[in-house]
Amino acid sequence: MKDFTVFWGCTIPARFPFLEKSVRTVLDGMSLPYRDIDGFTCCPEKSLVNNIDHGLWTLTAARNIAVAEGEGLNIVSPCTGCVSNLATVKSELKTNQKKKAEVNSVFESIGRKYEGKIKLSHLVPFFHDEVGANAIKSAIKRDFRGMKFAVHYGCHMMRPGHALKNDDPLDPKKFDNLIRTLGGESMDYMTKLTCCGQGLDRVDQHENALTMARLKLKELKMLGADAMALCCPSCFLQFDNNQNLMEKDGEKLGIPVLYFTDILGLAMGYKSEDLGLPGHRIDVGPFLKKWEAMNEAPKMSKIQEEFGGEGAFTL
Amino acid sequence: MLTEELNLNLLQKCADCGACYDICPSCLHLEGYDPRSVIKSILAGDYERWLALDSIWQCLECHQCLEMCFQHYGFENAMTAMRLLATKKGVHPPQVKRGFDMFVKTGRLGEPVLPARKKLNLPEPKNSGKDEFLKMLSVYKDSKAVASKKDAT
Repeated sequence: MKDFTVFWGCTIPARFPFLEKSVRTVLDGMSLPYRDIDGFTCCPEKSLVNNIDHGLWTLTAARNIAVAEGEGLNIVSPCTGCVSNLATVKSELKTNQKKKAEVNSVFESIGRKYEGKIKLSHLVPFFHDEVGANAIKSAIKRDFRGMKFAVHYGCHMMRPGHALKNDDPLDPKKFDNLIRTLGGESMDYMTKLTCCGQGLDRVDQHENALTMARLKLKELKMLGADAMALCCPSCFLQFDNNQNLMEKDGEKLGIPVLYFTDILGLAMGYKSEDLGLPGHRIDVGPFLKKWEAMNEAPKMSKIQEEFGGEGAFTL
Repeated sequence: MLTEELNLNLLQKCADCGACYDICPSCLHLEGYDPRSVIKSILAGDYERWLALDSIWQCLECHQCLEMCFQHYGFENAMTAMRLLATKKGVHPPQVKRGFDMFVKTGRLGEPVLPARKKLNLPEPKNSGKDEFLKMLSVYKDSKAVASKKDAT
């Protein structure tokens, strides 16, 4: 595996450092070859920057890629937005050599060069494709049999498909495969691929954001999901923080929200604190409690006791 | 102005098709969200009335329409163009301006929270590329100013 750097983005370090903790614990625990480097900025966010200034969006993303390229590192990101934005610009510059030349002429003034040769991956497809099921299985101590996970992909993990090319953009499978690798059940549910709707909070439409959050959480409560599994800080904001706001208003749905590395880390034997789980606003206690219970050997029932042992006729 | 941003031929097909209505989360779940009405207004040239409405900010940019679209276009493009125009005219949600200002000032949308990092035993955050970013921004601004001067003459 080629060495890589983690592109943390803005949201995780600014709002959810406990998610960074979770990712680092797992990367260190599996001794994956990553190192932190100076020089990154915001990816930048599409809905904010690209919609206002496409040129600046392109330059900023290209510079971030060039920073990692200068160190000879691939990029892996635990944020779907970051990886989607970086990949979209990378794909545009690959097909538009004139634009690439323009970018590099601006870069002369800052001493950078954009080649676009390194690999960009989101953490989930990275674990699926590069770490692989065998390495994961040999790293875990306990699996999740009996536990029901509702995978929420997060739109930008695999879309736009032409830029990311890492899974079927309308019928992705890799996150589900990883949950199954860990022995859990990945539930099929109606709103599985529906966008989280967090974008609405960024344009001052909080009530609409809650409408979107409610949609998924209500379905999962009805179906009895043990936890939602996701890997995007924006989706996490939507389902953990906003679910908490709903709870404060008397609407308790009680769906724990786990990051992919939380789930993998627990299976590897890490404690709640090692993975930053106490930072989650929705209590993950019920999930952990059920998991503990599932791990206990089932007690013999009375009928088993009576029928067990010797046969009816002694030989 | 808007017609420079958009390919009207593709948009006409978009107005006639609507295959993505069944997959668009906002069409399905937000009352009154109807991108094709916006697109029809763009084609008819009377799109101004949409600029100040919440509706054009309800596209979630999930790219599902783009993946569904046989033209690989999707009405997301129309919404993006309308947002740009609304922003140029100053009729955008206040948060958009706050976010953009923070981005061009600091190169980021938020700073790492140091006390929480310490508590979690996380390493010191690496230096951001702020200074280099600001230098790049000023070079970019100058090149844009030169280009617009050229256009004027």
